[in-house]
Amino acid sequence: MLWIQTGGCSGDTMSLLNAESPDLLEALRGLELELLWHPSLSLLGPAGLGRMIDRIERGEQALTILVVEGAIAQGPAGTGLYDTMLGEPKRDIVARLADVASVVVAAGTCAAYGGISAAGPDPDDYVGLQWTGDQPRGLLSPDWISRAGLPVINVAGCPTHPDDVLHALRLVVYGGTIELDAVNRPVERFEKAFHRACPAKIPKLAGAEIEPGEIPCSFELGCQGPKTAARCSHGIWLGESSKPRVGAPCVGCTSPTFPEDRELLAPDLDFVADAPPLGVSMADHRAYGGMVRYTMRRITAGLVAITEPRARRTQGLAPVRPRA
Amino acid sequence: MQPHTKRKVVSLELNRVEGDLEVKIEYDGEKVTDAWCIGLMYRGFEQILRGRAATDGLVITPRICGICSTSHSYAAVAALEHAWQCPIAPNGTRVRNLCLMTEGIQSDARHSFLMFTIDLCNPRYRDVEGYDRVQTLFEAFSGRTYVETLQRTKDILKIVAIFGGQWPHSGSFMPGGVTARPTRAQLRRARDLINEYQGWYEASVLGCRTERWLRNHTADDVEAWLDEAEAHRKSAIGTFWRFTRAIGLHRTGVGEGNLLSFGNYFDPVRWQPPFEEPAMLLPGGFHDAETGLDSPFDHREVTEHVRYSHFVDSGDGRHPWQGETSPVAGPRDGSYSWAKAPRYRGKVCELGPLADLYHGGDPLVRGLFAAEGSNSFLRQFARIHRAAPTFELMHRTLDELVADLDEPFLIRPTPRATAQGVGFVSAARGGLAHWIELVDGEIERYQIITPTSWNASPRDSAGTPGHWESTMIGTPIADLEDPIELAHIIRSHDACLVCTVHVLDLDRRFRFGAA
Repeated sequence: MLWIQTGGCSGDTMSLLNAESPDLLEALRGLELELLWHPSLSLLGPAGLGRMIDRIERGEQALTILVVEGAIAQGPAGTGLYDTMLGEPKRDIVARLADVASVVVAAGTCAAYGGISAAGPDPDDYVGLQWTGDQPRGLLSPDWISRAGLPVINVAGCPTHPDDVLHALRLVVYGGTIELDAVNRPVERFEKAFHRACPAKIPKLAGAEIEPGEIPCSFELGCQGPKTAARCSHGIWLGESSKPRVGAPCVGCTSPTFPEDRELLAPDLDFVADAPPLGVSMADHRAYGGMVRYTMRRITAGLVAITEPRARRTQGLAPVRPRA
Repeated sequence: MQPHTKRKVVSLELNRVEGDLEVKIEYDGEKVTDAWCIGLMYRGFEQILRGRAATDGLVITPRICGICSTSHSYAAVAALEHAWQCPIAPNGTRVRNLCLMTEGIQSDARHSFLMFTIDLCNPRYRDVEGYDRVQTLFEAFSGRTYVETLQRTKDILKIVAIFGGQWPHSGSFMPGGVTARPTRAQLRRARDLINEYQGWYEASVLGCRTERWLRNHTADDVEAWLDEAEAHRKSAIGTFWRFTRAIGLHRTGVGEGNLLSFGNYFDPVRWQPPFEEPAMLLPGGFHDAETGLDSPFDHREVTEHVRYSHFVDSGDGRHPWQGETSPVAGPRDGSYSWAKAPRYRGKVCELGPLADLYHGGDPLVRGLFAAEGSNSFLRQFARIHRAAPTFELMHRTLDELVADLDEPFLIRPTPRATAQGVGFVSAARGGLAHWIELVDGEIERYQIITPTSWNASPRDSAGTPGHWESTMIGTPIADLEDPIELAHIIRSHDACLVCTVHVLDLDRRFRFGAA
C-alpha cells in the first residue's frame, strides 16, 4: 500500500491515527499490508519515494493499493503547479501510479469529489480523482477502471472515519463482492442517512436553555443529517461521541457536493420535516413547532430512504490472499 | 572566500512535515552557505471563503489543517466574535481552551515521537553513547515511545470528541460559546482522560512526577536530575536530553531569537467585548534579540511582504487588512514560494513552543534560552516539555467547569452585517491569526497567517532571509545524500505546510509571468 497526499489538510491521516480497535498498526499487521510509504510516517524521504515509484512503474515493486488523500491540483491554468513533488505536478505522478496499482482508494471527500480544496471560484483548479462534486469528471476518466477492474473506491468524509478507511482496505485484501453506490462509495458504510439514527430527540435548539446532557436538534444550524449518508449517528468518533451529541450540526461532509454553495450554518429549508407546515409562520413553527417537528421527524425517518443511495455496481474482486 | 565554482545548489524535499516542503541550499562542499524554503502546495482558502456567508469560515477553516484543526476553529470564531462584538459565555471559553490544550498536547507528542526522534536513530549516530537506548525508544513503528505515543495520543483526543463531537474538524465552537452542554459525568470522564495521559507521560516520557520535573529551571538542574535516578536517565525526555546534546543539536539551527507569541488561552471571564485589552492565561509578547527587551504583542505591528513569493508584487509591507494576493503560474523574477513573508516591526520572528513558553514565563525554557539562545535542541525540547505545565492548566479549567456547570455555555450573538475582526490563537506551532472583513453579511476578505507562514517565510523585499532559512545557513553537512544535520533543524521547527495557505483577491486576474 502506498499512501500519497495531494491537495488536502492531512485530516484523513490524523483521523486514521485514531483508529480505536484495532489501532492502525494492528490493523496493518492483521491485513498483512506493507505500508510502502506514507508522507507523515515513513523514514524514506521523497527522493527515495521517487526511486520507489520508478521501480513500481517498471514492475519491479508490486503496488496493490494506492491511497490518495487530498484533491488533485490542475491549476493554475491547467499546469498542475499548485501541487508539485520532485519537480513535477503531483497529478502526473498519481495518474501513473493509478495505472499500475491493483486498486485505487480515495481517502476523504477531497480525493473523492474535490471537496473543500475544489471550492474556490475556478472549478478547474482542483478536481477529485474520478469525480468533481457530483459530476463524473476528474483526473481519471469516468470509465477508468484499475487493473483489478474497479473504479476509484470513494471513502467519503471530511475527515474520513478511520473505520471507513479500514473497511475499504479489508474489502480489497479479502476480496469477494464489493458494492458501490451511484457515487462509488462502499454501500455498507454509506447506505444509511445520518438522520435515521440521530440521537437528537428534543426539538430544542442549541443556545436555548438546554439541560446538561440534553441533545438539541441542530436544524437551525443547517444540519444536513436527512440527506447525508454517514455512520456518525450510528457509530461514534474516538469511541466517545459525535457532533449531534454536542449540538453541532452535520455539515454533510460525505456528500459529493460538500461544501455546498449555500450558507452552511443556516437552516436548510429543503427538508420537508422541518419546514413550517402550510400557513404556519416560521416564528410560530419555532415557538410551537416542537410537537409538530417531533411528530414529523418520526414519520420522515421512515422516508429518508429516498435520499439514501442505492447500490449501483456490484463487483467481484479476487482476494489479495485467501483468508486463513 | 572560495570562488563560486565550488558551490552548488542542491534541492532537498522532505516528508514527515505536515504537507510538502522543498529546501534549496547552496553548498560549498562543507556547509550550507545559503538556503531557500519552498512551499509546494497552494489551495487558496481565502479565495474559497470570499463571498461566502459570515459563519462559513467556522466549517471551512478547520479544513486548512488536520492536526491543528481546533486552533483554526478557535481563530475563526474569535475573529467573528471580535467583528460582532458579542459576549462569550465563560464556560464556552473553558471548553474551547480544554480542546485547544488537548490538541496541542497531541500535536506536540505526535510530532516529537512520530516525526522528529526517529531521525536520532540514523546509523550515523551508531557510535554515540546512548544510541541503543535511542533505538529502543524512538525507532519508527517499533520503538517503545513511538508505539505508546500512537496509543496515548488517540486516547487524550477523546476529550475533544466529548466536547466537540469528533476530531479533527469538530463542530461545537459557535460565536458566543459552544453548543455542547456537558454533564458532570462527562467532566469526570475528561478528568480521567487527563489523569491517564499524565500518568503515562510521567512514567514514560519524564520518568518522574510532573511536580518534580517542573522544579528543574536550568541546564544544571536537569543534569543533576539525570544523575538522581536511573528512571530519569532512561525516560524519553532524559534520553532525548543527553543524546541530542551529545550530537551537538544545541549548537545547530541557531535562530536570531526574535521570539513572538500571541499568548495562550483566553481568560474565560475577562475575555469579553470590546476585546481591546489582552486577557490571556499565559501572556504573549515580542522578544527583540537586538535590544534584549520584551514588549506586549500588538497586532498592528504585523506586516506581510510578497516580493519573493509566487504572487504578484502588490507593494511592500502591507498589513493584512490591506493585503491583496494574486498567484502566478510559476517562478517569476526570483519568486520561489507560495508562502508570504510576515514580519513584526519589520523583523524576522520565530514562533512556536519556545516563544510561547518564554513569554508565558516557563522557568526552564527561559533559563535555557538565556544561557544558550534559540537552537534546534531547545525548540524540540520545549515541545516535549510543554505538556508538563499544561496538565495543571487543564485540571484548573476542568475545576472551573465543575464549579460553574449550571452556567450557560453559549450566549446567543447578534450578528453585525458589516464589520471587521481578527482572531489570535496560539496553535501548537505558534501564533495563528484569522482576519475577517464582512460586508452585508458576506465575507469580503479573509486573511490567514499561520505560524508556519512566519517561520517558513521567504525573503522579504529587503532580501532578508526568513527564520528557517537563517537557521540553516552555516550548517555543516557531511553527506549530501543523507543531510541529517539539516533534517534535524527543519523538523525542530515542526513545519506544517498544509497550513501555508493564502488568499486571492477575487478582483484580480491571474497573471502569468515568463517561465
